Amino acid sequence: MMHLRLIRTFISASAQEEAAYRANFAISLLHSLLNFATGLLGLGIIYGQVPAIQGWDYASALAVLGVYLTVSALRGLMMGPSLDALAGMDGEVWRGAFDFTLLRPVRTQFLVSVRKWRLFTLFDLLLGLLVLGTAVARLQVTLTFYQLAAFLLALAAGLLVLYAILLAAASLVFWDPGLMVGWVFDSLFQMARYPVGLYPGWLRLMLTWVIPVGFITTIPAAALSEGLSWGLLGGSLAFALVLTVGASWLFRVGLRRYASASS
Amino acid sequence: MNTNHQGGLALMRATWLSWMQHRSFFFILAFGWMMQPLIFMFVWATAAGDQTVGGLTRGEIVAYYLTLILVNQITYSQTNWTVGDLIRGGDMNRLLLLPMSPLYNTLAAELAGKVVYLTFVLPITVGLALLLKPEFNLTAVSLIAFLPALLLAWLLRFLWGYALALLAFWAARADALLAVQDALVFLLAGQAAPMLLLPPLLRTLAVILPFRYMVGFPAEVLTGQLDAAQLAFGFAMQIGWLAVTVLLYQLMWRRGVRQYTAVGG
Repeated sequence: MMHLRLIRTFISASAQEEAAYRANFAISLLHSLLNFATGLLGLGIIYGQVPAIQGWDYASALAVLGVYLTVSALRGLMMGPSLDALAGMDGEVWRGAFDFTLLRPVRTQFLVSVRKWRLFTLFDLLLGLLVLGTAVARLQVTLTFYQLAAFLLALAAGLLVLYAILLAAASLVFWDPGLMVGWVFDSLFQMARYPVGLYPGWLRLMLTWVIPVGFITTIPAAALSEGLSWGLLGGSLAFALVLTVGASWLFRVGLRRYASASS
Repeated sequence: MNTNHQGGLALMRATWLSWMQHRSFFFILAFGWMMQPLIFMFVWATAAGDQTVGGLTRGEIVAYYLTLILVNQITYSQTNWTVGDLIRGGDMNRLLLLPMSPLYNTLAAELAGKVVYLTFVLPITVGLALLLKPEFNLTAVSLIAFLPALLLAWLLRFLWGYALALLAFWAARADALLAVQDALVFLLAGQAAPMLLLPPLLRTLAVILPFRYMVGFPAEVLTGQLDAAQLAFGFAMQIGWLAVTVLLYQLMWRRGVRQYTAVGG
């Protein structure tokens, strides 16, 4: 209960902060629309030449793009800004301001994961859902209740995988504040924009098991376009849980290493 | 305007040495810039499979994109971003007092950056080439024409970026425009697809607008995708856009620096 109240406070504080910079609104709008348009046009150019790549036609690839935009928006809403405030460039560990966060009477992992919100990304979320809706309409499938439930569960698993990766990357700041693993992951995450089936075999395996971006977008989208087996759905949920537990453990080990740099 | 070339050279050397100290940071940036062309190389190569797509085989697509990654890195202009910051932050004051054109300062950063980035991008591209087996159909013409195409592309992209960055003299948030430029470079400069594979409307835009001549054109030249007439037309467009850009730069610089006011620096 207290946690929910805290989150509400964080949201309203972030909203006030954002409202102070109104000129940024137009620029954020421009960035969102450009990101949306280039994603769609990129896909359009590819499927203007070929009807399908390894079984992925335009509609099913569009579903992956929709999931990518949705997941990216949810990431930018809270996970991204919060963890950036901890471990990003000029973040708290870097500046030595992390002591004040440690002193707060809440679980530190909770606090660093939810305290900064960027409400503008709700617009990105809208664009993502729009693409997702268009994809479903084009797929010409009637969604069963089971399919919809499987999609939502797979999406939740994907978000957990993403959270675990971001948390683990942020935790590395306790070992070396100059380490920018998060940036490297950001570059690789670009690949999640399209289905893993669009990449050559060795890369597909890597994107599933080494840097599991396939779990984040391809599997939830596949739940809509072709349906998931119980095994795959259960497997990806279990995988997400294992990763989250692992990342939380890494964060705790890192916390213990933290030696204050401020006064 | 002053022409102290010796000072300029010394500055370039100093800038390069200071950049090499922060290698890993720049390597990560360079990795990010490689990503878009890499993604589309893989997608198009998978689409081609054992056949062709739009007349290109898998090997030819790989050859085109590996060249494009190098050309993109060589011509990439950070100036786009940094010069605007100099003006907004008032640091331009210090540069204006130096006995040489501020263009030298930017040129120094450009050259230093290029060497640092290439020590990362070149080995990776060579590694990818060994792994992915590109098919280069090199001819004497394509080899000879490549270097001038690359040089013109770099000049065009550099000056174009500089001229755009000078918009900061008038508007504080002019860098929002750069996001539009990035999108256009992605679509029209041969990153999302080689020009041959673009749908007709985008292809026409690519041929008319300057972006293809900053990145895609040299890669098309080296991989032999153009016949003699297209080659000549491409060079003419490159030179034409470069002339326009030089005029634009001079106009913006003269007007801008006259009305520039800043405190500190």
